[in-house]
Amino acid sequence: MAANTIFFMIFSLVAIISGFVMITRRHPLSAALSLVVTFISLAGLYGLLAAKLLFIIQILVYAGAIMTLVIFSIMLLNVQEEDLPAEERIIERVSITTLILLPMIYIIGRSFTVIKDGQFPEVSQDFGTIHSVGMFLFTTYSFPFEVISILLLISLLGVVVLAKRRI
Amino acid sequence: MESFGRIGFMLFLAFIVPTIALVLSRFLQPRFVTASKIQTYECGIKPYGSAWVQFNIRYYIYALIFVVFDIETVFLYPWAVAFKGLGLFAVIEMFLFLTILLVGFAYAWKKGALDWH
Amino acid sequence: MIAGLQSYLLVSAILFFIGVAGVLTRKNIFIIFMSIELMLNAVNLTFISFSRFMNNLTGQAIVFLIIAVAAAEAAIGLSIVILIFKNKDSLSVDDFDVMKG
Repeated sequence: MAANTIFFMIFSLVAIISGFVMITRRHPLSAALSLVVTFISLAGLYGLLAAKLLFIIQILVYAGAIMTLVIFSIMLLNVQEEDLPAEERIIERVSITTLILLPMIYIIGRSFTVIKDGQFPEVSQDFGTIHSVGMFLFTTYSFPFEVISILLLISLLGVVVLAKRRI
Repeated sequence: MESFGRIGFMLFLAFIVPTIALVLSRFLQPRFVTASKIQTYECGIKPYGSAWVQFNIRYYIYALIFVVFDIETVFLYPWAVAFKGLGLFAVIEMFLFLTILLVGFAYAWKKGALDWH
Repeated sequence: MIAGLQSYLLVSAILFFIGVAGVLTRKNIFIIFMSIELMLNAVNLTFISFSRFMNNLTGQAIVFLIIAVAAAEAAIGLSIVILIFKNKDSLSVDDFDVMKG
């Protein structure tokens, strides 16, 4: 077995298990910490797929900024045991839902068999590096990039309006 | 792939150093358990209340604004790396991007979201 | 055995359906929010594996933009969650059943 495959197995197992742990936790804080583990192992999978820039961005933005914001909100609301919605036997209910959804995974898995040769081709050394993705993003995708700035502007305005209301 | 080897080595170090420190101190420490030893702070003010304190809501708006500008910085990073090959067009592009976000910053400033009363 | 495209797609499908199960089963609004983030990430993984498979950077550029959109969505979504909690004093989605604020 190639080293890539071993790392793939480790990362995907950790991602799936901690993703499942995330939806079975009662307190959102432990769910958030478990989701951080999922995001970091997904970053490992991105690294295996030669996406070097996205490896960093995943850790910086998802595990760093977004999950910090989620944990920050949970701590700001000071969520106590009595604030949590009454949910009984979470693990059983989640497991049954997952079992019901399992045929969907099977159907999707069947559609993968259409892909005859799933082997990844050899790619050049600078595939997915910061330089090559930057060159690609700022030439081919220059317009979506500008639209993102408007989206960020709107979210900034929304955040100021929503957060100022209660101070 | 070689660059990931270094990251893997750092990850290995990050796991092994605290493990060694914890295991070694477990074996080397003398253990006398008294009431004041098992407090959170052995010397200092006696802790009171819960560790789950609600912290100031003013930090929250800073955190929200931080996330937006974090994304801005993340876009600046590949731009700066690919800058040499991109030329004047990329400068104009990034100038537009930053100008649009600066409008939001000016709005947040004017609304007093950045003030600390 | 070498991990090919199908195995990555399978992992992404499993993660996506874990997210779906979380959204369908749970009542805690924070966990529903995080399940949506997990679904977004599963789709990102699909994009990146196809980008590697096709030897084409478009998928990675799209993932980059998706991450920016997700951060904007997280900022707005969490401030709405906090406002709702202040108004209703509850985290259960069962209590959020009126449009009136």
